Amino acid sequence: MKHVSIPSGADLGALYRQVAGDYPKFFKMDVLSKLGFLLTEMLVADEANRFQPREDRAVLVFSREGCVANDRHYAASMPDFPSPALFVYTLPNIVSGEIAIRNKYAGETSAYVLEKYDEAQLWALVREAFQDRCTKSAVVAWIDCPSDTVWKADAWLVGREEILK
Amino acid sequence: MTKVFCTGCGVVTPVGDTPEAVFLAVRAGRSALQLYPARPEPYMASLLSRQGFNGPSFFEHIAIEAARKALAQAGLDPSGPRVGLVLSAIKGNVEQIDSEDVSLAAAAARIAAELGVTSQPVVVSNACISGLAALLQGMRMLRSGAYDHVIVVGAEVQSRFIVTGFQSLKALSLQACKPFDAARDGLNLGEAAAAMVLRAEMPGQAGHDEVTAPDGVMADTDRPSLWELVDGAVRNDANHISGPSRTGEGSYNALKYLLPLVNREQLAFVNVHGTATRYNDEMEAIALERAGLLDVPVNALKGIFGHSMGAAGILESIVSMQACDAGVVLPTQGFSELGVSRPVRVLAQEMPTSGTEFIKLLSGFGGVNGALLFKKGGAR
Amino acid sequence: MNELINELKLKVIEALNLEGMTPEDIDDNAPLFGDQGLGLDSIDVLELIVLLEKNYGIRLATPQEGKEVFKSMAVMAEYVAANRKK
Repeated sequence: MKHVSIPSGADLGALYRQVAGDYPKFFKMDVLSKLGFLLTEMLVADEANRFQPREDRAVLVFSREGCVANDRHYAASMPDFPSPALFVYTLPNIVSGEIAIRNKYAGETSAYVLEKYDEAQLWALVREAFQDRCTKSAVVAWIDCPSDTVWKADAWLVGREEILK
Repeated sequence: MTKVFCTGCGVVTPVGDTPEAVFLAVRAGRSALQLYPARPEPYMASLLSRQGFNGPSFFEHIAIEAARKALAQAGLDPSGPRVGLVLSAIKGNVEQIDSEDVSLAAAAARIAAELGVTSQPVVVSNACISGLAALLQGMRMLRSGAYDHVIVVGAEVQSRFIVTGFQSLKALSLQACKPFDAARDGLNLGEAAAAMVLRAEMPGQAGHDEVTAPDGVMADTDRPSLWELVDGAVRNDANHISGPSRTGEGSYNALKYLLPLVNREQLAFVNVHGTATRYNDEMEAIALERAGLLDVPVNALKGIFGHSMGAAGILESIVSMQACDAGVVLPTQGFSELGVSRPVRVLAQEMPTSGTEFIKLLSGFGGVNGALLFKKGGAR
Repeated sequence: MNELINELKLKVIEALNLEGMTPEDIDDNAPLFGDQGLGLDSIDVLELIVLLEKNYGIRLATPQEGKEVFKSMAVMAEYVAANRKK
């Protein structure tokens, strides 16, 4: 099972130029979505036919803090001029949508909020997602961002056979 | 595949506090939608009364209340290790954004503690499809064998955060919303909580009509037959984070997943997302056409409840179960003249039905779409 | 007018997170939407509506109005010059 990680506080702009560089919309994203985008690039950039639309790959995102970092940005814009560009990111699942759009993943995308990083609980939920008979693989991510500069960001690419054995 | 049944429901809504009362309100076209003053603009919403409430979290309070009602109806003691809890929530306690503890997970832990649930709760936060996704998650937890019962509860309360946000997207209508109507111009906001207790069918089951509790006691067969949650799917449009797909990609794919399981002759209606934005309703019409469902009656409930976000998937399913039990397709409040490009069978009046199945359809930000198939227990 | 166009370009670049772009990179008459030009989308229209109100006191009611006003930087500058309240 492939595993990638982005150290807390890393320069995401620099990492973007290193692993992608061809997706200007990256700079509109909130920190959660940037991390999810980059983690997925690190997982699948070398895959053959990677931009071929597919329904058989799920995107499952887990966190404790959800999108609270961006919630605070939006809340700060509220009193004067509420920002629509910030508001659209005030959901824990948008990161999974950004991954789906970039990679043309038309399968299941889900977001879960857990009390803490609990491996047993997380992988049980992943295994349960494979009850969808179309799902053959999944991008699984634990992206926990209490702020724009501090996070725990890990992702795995897992196949049906490995998860169900 | 293990069958999953709903053994109890509970609701907290501005138009009624039991599934039966809510069903009657919808049937009579009684909504609590009204215009609330706000800066920079007023907004139309269906809100709960907070009179007499003094606690720290109204969101948690209504979630607990709905869950308690569902547990009471199911006759379930939630404290065992084989009882799970799934919370559907989008913004939860966001009103308390400045406090440490705005986390949805912390809210779920407090709700679990208050209910006496001892297992670790799961929060599903998948934008506007959360309620449906949470039901699907509950089904999967039962099918994995990890639990015998799962309480699935969804709730949402409105706040300046959400209102200003939707205003900045110019997504709100200043009138009572008009799903699928030619004059529709946006959505209304809503507050509610709704819960279902789901149970796995026990192995070595006697037959379709009898659902045996773990201690061997037969369910009361004079009660309305239990509803079965057959299966569900979530699919992403892979197109845009807030605009629906022009081809209804994800919505169609979610429906397509269910079609092999649907008995078309028994399909009473599709209860759609129907937010009454120009784009959503058009997208759903296209998805329904692509799925070959244009001849099936369609019903939308947001003209009564507004968009109750985290509660929507569960609340709208409960109302649909009530309707199907009563043999009716409920009217779509706010609809009068079809305003989508496909001939969808949306109804302004109530219609009788003998169908025993319905599909719940929802869409949400992040390009997510979900569909769930419900079937009356004991139906062939 | 050139000063206003330049000022607008800087504000647009900032508001829409157009990383690494300078005013020189944006042609005055290039379409802002669609696959050419800046490829802006529906959220960008809404953000530009906020930009007009915040900086120039101009209130556009609908995204449809926005699409006309934001056809290009030159069209936007003309509109701002004609309608600004601050």
